[in-house]
Amino acid sequence: MMHRRAELLIYCIKKILSFVISIVFLSLVVFYISRWAPGDPLVSYYGDRVEKMSPEEREWAEERLGLNDPVYVQYIRWAQNALHGSFGISYKYKTDVTEVIGGRIGNTLLLGGIGFLLIFLLAPVVGILCVWYENKLPDKMISRVGTISSCIPEFWFSLVLILVFSVIFKILPGSGAYDIGKSNDVLSRIRHLILPLAVVVISHIWYYAYMVRNKLLEEVRADYVLLAKAKGLSRSRILLGHCLRNVMPSYISIMAISIPHILGGTYIVETVFSYPGIGTLAYESARYKDYNLLMLVCILSGVVVIFCNIIGQAINERIDPRIKAEKTGEALEVEVL
Amino acid sequence: MTEKDFELAGIRTVEEQPLRAKRKWYKEYPVVSMLFLGIMIVECFFCEQIMTVNPTYMDLEHCNVAPGRKFLFGTDTLGRDIFSMIWYGGRVSLLIGFVATAISTAIGVLFGAVSGVASPRADAFLMRAVEIVLSIPNLLMIVLLQAVLGGAGVIGISIVIGITGWMSIAKVVRTEVRQIRNSEYVIASKCMGGSFWHILWRHFLPNFWPSIMFMVVMNVRTAIVAESTLSFMGIGLPLEIVSWGSMLALSQQALMTGSWWMILIPGCFLIVTLMCVTDIGNSLRRDSNQRQSNL
Repeated sequence: MMHRRAELLIYCIKKILSFVISIVFLSLVVFYISRWAPGDPLVSYYGDRVEKMSPEEREWAEERLGLNDPVYVQYIRWAQNALHGSFGISYKYKTDVTEVIGGRIGNTLLLGGIGFLLIFLLAPVVGILCVWYENKLPDKMISRVGTISSCIPEFWFSLVLILVFSVIFKILPGSGAYDIGKSNDVLSRIRHLILPLAVVVISHIWYYAYMVRNKLLEEVRADYVLLAKAKGLSRSRILLGHCLRNVMPSYISIMAISIPHILGGTYIVETVFSYPGIGTLAYESARYKDYNLLMLVCILSGVVVIFCNIIGQAINERIDPRIKAEKTGEALEVEVL
Repeated sequence: MTEKDFELAGIRTVEEQPLRAKRKWYKEYPVVSMLFLGIMIVECFFCEQIMTVNPTYMDLEHCNVAPGRKFLFGTDTLGRDIFSMIWYGGRVSLLIGFVATAISTAIGVLFGAVSGVASPRADAFLMRAVEIVLSIPNLLMIVLLQAVLGGAGVIGISIVIGITGWMSIAKVVRTEVRQIRNSEYVIASKCMGGSFWHILWRHFLPNFWPSIMFMVVMNVRTAIVAESTLSFMGIGLPLEIVSWGSMLALSQQALMTGSWWMILIPGCFLIVTLMCVTDIGNSLRRDSNQRQSNL
């Protein structure tokens, strides 16, 4: 018993350590790349006034924002502040970065969260439908439509939906997260969510449904299915009660890993729908060299990704002890592709 | 129960099935997709001979004209002929797809092979690095690299997309290389003084090629999508360099004027191409469901 507990402790410590190292490394990489990139962060702070600045004024401004030190000094300073919980101010919005992000993260989580949930619930349904009618018309139809839907680029799909629903028929709004001045109106928010959600769900669902379908197809060829059939179980009992149950663990761990994938997919959708979320913010901050904002957005996304990866691995190891810790990641990765 | 009240469980509906029924030659290969893609490629690369209308010529008298006799696919808000832009743009889009894939495959194979033959410690380090790179959202990574490399040209953007897309190939290559690195023929080759490159080219590559083939083809698709997305968002190719993505960059104006042809036509060409590529990629995967279902 003691041995078990110690093992678990070591396991947790290892995971936490690798988590922390990954985050530090990630922040270093992003920090250096963003500083090397050409472009003037002063423009995002001072706007067009930068062009009229004298060299002395420039120097003073850079000094004030701490931009003229060597990069590693800047990094150390940033890291020190970050550990104390202050991530600096956004050059563009002139307020604390956490405030800027705090105002937007809810929107992204709403879109990404609901989207993820829908995909999570619908993908097995589609997959089961395909297996139930294997090689019959419904399966073939679903597979065709699915392949097509996975080929459509997200941004183009969003454009077409906007064109059809808000330009031609004018039934649904094509941009923003709520009507002006109605930020607390639930109905207005829902109406603005429909189109982006449709894009997120439809462009991702086949990917996972296809995976469930393939796994189930393998599963229904196993010998225990024969046994169950011989016992007189009905088709639906075998498929839902036995096969699906065997597929579920790997499905769940893959879904854990793909949380960031789906959240990342909302980035593009957000920009097309000019939906005020993290995606538009990330894009803006990278383009206009809003360093502090960029760092926090990257770190946040990185934390989510790495955390989900670890969770996925842990789930998998728990459920299937045959898979060794190191092998999980890559095996899953290949599968997801 | 089912419609029958008595059934022998496990009896095959078809008694004797030849293990691999000989398929017609046209079912082995995705003929339709290959034909379509072939036509598309030929049209795009010989567009100068076929299309005499300059795609960058701005006919300001005929801005935003709907598809008709004179302009088959209409004109965009800058007065350019969309029919001619499709072919010239397709050339750029396809070129980026292939060049970016070549780059990402080369990096992925090299990285994977090095990691595969390295000592366990170095291997663990390299794989951790891959995971960290994977954890940066792809879009952000591209935006950052784009900014570092500066000017957005066809080659520049291919490099950026290539650099961001090699990780999954590297992982597969590494796993495969680890499995065969200690086989007799590799050791024999090493003993006879075969260099790393020689072994990679003559022994490793033929072994892992089938398993990355599908990913390589899919990378073409990802690269084309990435290019069009970036150009659409205004961080890829500029408007002057015509590609399917940069044609769509004008769609914000198109939405306002309701000119559907500017959005739908380039998009359809894009999707048809992507579907052909996907179809070809899928046919490369081996079909694992040869046996009959027990259900």
